[in-house]
Amino acid sequence: MKLLHKEILIAKHLQKSVFKNSAIYSITFFIGVLLLFAAFSGWDNYKSQNETSEKYQHQSREDWLKNPDKNPHRMAHYGNFAFRKSTSLSVFEFGMEPFFGNAIFLEAHKQNTANFSEAGFSNSMLRFGEISIAMILQILLPLLIFFVGFNSVAYERENGTLKILLTQGITWKQLLFGKILGITSVVMLLFVPTIMVLVLIWLTLQNFTISADETIKLLLFIVFHFIYQMFFCIISVLVSASGKTSKKALVSLIGIWLIFTIILPRTTQAIGAYLYQAPSKIQFNSDIEKDILKQGDSHNPNDVHYKAIKDSLLTVYKVDSVEKLPFNYSGFIMTEGERISSNIYNKHLEELLKIYKKQNSFSKAISFINPYIAMKNLSMGLSNTDYDSYIDFQKQAEQYRYNMAQKMNGLQIKYISNKKPGPNDKPLTIDKKHWADIEEFHYEPKGVREVLKTEIIAVISLLLWIILLFVLIKIAAKNLKAI
Amino acid sequence: MLVLLFKNFIRSKGTKIGLLFLLLIGIISLLIGRQFQEKQQNNITEAAVYQKEHIARNASFHKDEIGLLLYYIKFSLVNHTLPINSLAIGQRDVNPSIQSVTIRGLEAQKYDSELNNPSNLLSGNIDFSFVLLYLFPLLIIAFSYNIISEEKESGTWKITATQSSNTFLYILKLFYIRILSLIGLLTLLLLIAIFFLQIPVDKSFFIFYILSVLYILFWFSICFFIASLQKNSNFNAVILLTIWLFLIIILPAGINTYIINKYKVPEALELTLTQRNAYHEKWDIDKQKTLNKFYKHYPRFKDYKLPDSEFSWLWYYAMQQMGDDESAVQSKELESKLEQRNNASELIAQFIPTLHTQIQLNEIAKSDLRNQLLFIKETKQFHEKLRLHFYPKIFDNEPVNKQKWENFKVETFTDKSETSFAKAFLPLIIFNLLLIAFGWRNFKR
Repeated sequence: MKLLHKEILIAKHLQKSVFKNSAIYSITFFIGVLLLFAAFSGWDNYKSQNETSEKYQHQSREDWLKNPDKNPHRMAHYGNFAFRKSTSLSVFEFGMEPFFGNAIFLEAHKQNTANFSEAGFSNSMLRFGEISIAMILQILLPLLIFFVGFNSVAYERENGTLKILLTQGITWKQLLFGKILGITSVVMLLFVPTIMVLVLIWLTLQNFTISADETIKLLLFIVFHFIYQMFFCIISVLVSASGKTSKKALVSLIGIWLIFTIILPRTTQAIGAYLYQAPSKIQFNSDIEKDILKQGDSHNPNDVHYKAIKDSLLTVYKVDSVEKLPFNYSGFIMTEGERISSNIYNKHLEELLKIYKKQNSFSKAISFINPYIAMKNLSMGLSNTDYDSYIDFQKQAEQYRYNMAQKMNGLQIKYISNKKPGPNDKPLTIDKKHWADIEEFHYEPKGVREVLKTEIIAVISLLLWIILLFVLIKIAAKNLKAI
Repeated sequence: MLVLLFKNFIRSKGTKIGLLFLLLIGIISLLIGRQFQEKQQNNITEAAVYQKEHIARNASFHKDEIGLLLYYIKFSLVNHTLPINSLAIGQRDVNPSIQSVTIRGLEAQKYDSELNNPSNLLSGNIDFSFVLLYLFPLLIIAFSYNIISEEKESGTWKITATQSSNTFLYILKLFYIRILSLIGLLTLLLLIAIFFLQIPVDKSFFIFYILSVLYILFWFSICFFIASLQKNSNFNAVILLTIWLFLIIILPAGINTYIINKYKVPEALELTLTQRNAYHEKWDIDKQKTLNKFYKHYPRFKDYKLPDSEFSWLWYYAMQQMGDDESAVQSKELESKLEQRNNASELIAQFIPTLHTQIQLNEIAKSDLRNQLLFIKETKQFHEKLRLHFYPKIFDNEPVNKQKWENFKVETFTDKSETSFAKAFLPLIIFNLLLIAFGWRNFKR
């Protein structure tokens, strides 16, 4: 107990000297205001995003059901929409959300792009970033910690008080831990209220009915952000202790902060994007079209692939024309066409996603060096605003689209007469009750287990950083000199 | 004296490393710009080849029905990319620079997005404008935060002050060599860019250059002002970095969040739903009703009467037309919302030099929201032109092989809007003069 006592004394002393500086009050006040602004705008954005997307998802569903009796293929072209919904943690961590398309139109034969992203509707201002609680916790707070911590040991050294402390029987280890404790306690004065507000908002948003999955995500979000703040407290003390003057310590800390939060994230991603070039949309689409043509073009009456299908059907059913088949022939062909084209599309998409993955691999790997990237990736994963969540949304939408198109083709095969109506006949239709057979699109965000699996590198690197820093404290405690 | 000061400045290890680092990353930014330019160029060539093949192939399949053929074929419009765009990529990576449209309903096509890796978009490009906006100020701060305080702290200030007849002039000289070396670096980078990226030296480039110089001077003015407060080095470093943080991250991000929340665009989703229903419901209502609406929009096609058959291309394209016509209100609303957004951000940006510079650079490079809105407008005209050309041919069911398909090449839209000197330079000039005046007053006191 006696040992800890000394450390607490040092911590209290540091706290006192920090609060003697009047600048700390205005900074704290300012960050407080910023946090409120971030919480408010995050909330506002989340609510309006989800309300709009729910409203139109609902309306699009009603429109779908309201359709009168029709040919099912008309319905497959009428189509459905997948509107993206946000998870509750995205109030605090916007992640890549502004760059995600919010709506995908799902129709037969065609994989449409996810449209209407916030970025497409913004001018370049967006590229400066956004103010969210996560951004404040991940970028601004570490800098504040450095501003508070750069003096912690270096000042004592400059003043000569360091020697006095050490001759009074305080060990380097006690001094370092005491200083770290002191800075942590100062930062906690901002961190704890923020987390309290965050939890309160989070609970209110869900009307206090919470799921286990969401709760675990929130807890991880809080715990890892706490660990993250600790890094910076430790780093600031270590640098302050090893720097000759406080100015040197300050300059190095600012350098570390700039490299971690501004320079590295952009450069590593840029290296990935530079080395692995992804095709543009026009190239991507024309490649797909070429492959589909190679497989067989259902629009071309003389196409080999489709002619073979036709001939084999005629032999099996022992008829001489497709009109005599016991089921709707064009529905059958469209099923085949949809199967082929989506297979090819998915194959190309996989290749594209592989390129994207390679582009992202630099950033992922660098999270071992840079705790900011590790933290950012993890918190985006937990709030389902990361790259994988977006791809997951698009895949769920595509799965839904494929099922819808094939179900409509199935209805056509089963219920539509195989005899083509004459030019003046009424078009063939089926009863509208079938429209309800297609379920509404529902996006299921990835669970916490999945998130941790994809962001395992981030988790490991954050844990490694803790170990490393404690090892560094030990080494520093042995080797540091008072002069 | 000036030469000595310069030698002293350039001999320091930190200075050399800083300048070299900035030169290196500046060159990297030019490489990235060139890659972007090449990608854009490839896309345009690709689009031209693709369109030719695509039309030829479809024209050979659907020889008998021009209406069916035009259901399939796409025509492309390119948003011309200036070489100077490689210096300020702006929103060109988010928004597609090529729009490919069929003559069917436009509203369902014109907001189609580009394929993108969202991780790249989030982290942003390292283009020249990033180097200028983010990194130049950092180096300026690193070079100037301790300009007087260092000498005071090391005790040489008194000697310097007594030896030089005019200390204020001495301070100016210290700034002068720093300004000169950074503007020299900027000029060098832009000179390399001219050759490497084949940027024409014209009025736009001139504005781009002057704007960059004024921006660099703006940061020196800030450092000058802070130096005039005569505080210690630590204080200067903290306060200058805080200013940087404010101007580069907090204010732009805060304003962006404000604008996004103030001008929300639920119209976008409403538009797609309206457009879908407006077209599809026509399948189930009286054909003549649809045609009457179509005649109202295009009186010149009144003489094409609804044929007796269950299906006709006249009816089909009239239905498609209604998808656009009946969602025109939402489309207009969305358009004006986006214009409001753009105007609001440009207005606010005038008071924040960093934002102002970025927006102006993008405006010169035609990579801002304004350019995108113009491109969408132009797409509408392009689409309308195609419609008017093909409608009578479809309604008359003209033979497919009689059309001159080879005449339908990829078209290019060139944004002709010009940047005015006053709008680009005035905000920065005013800020610079104010900061220098206040700094000067502080020194003279």
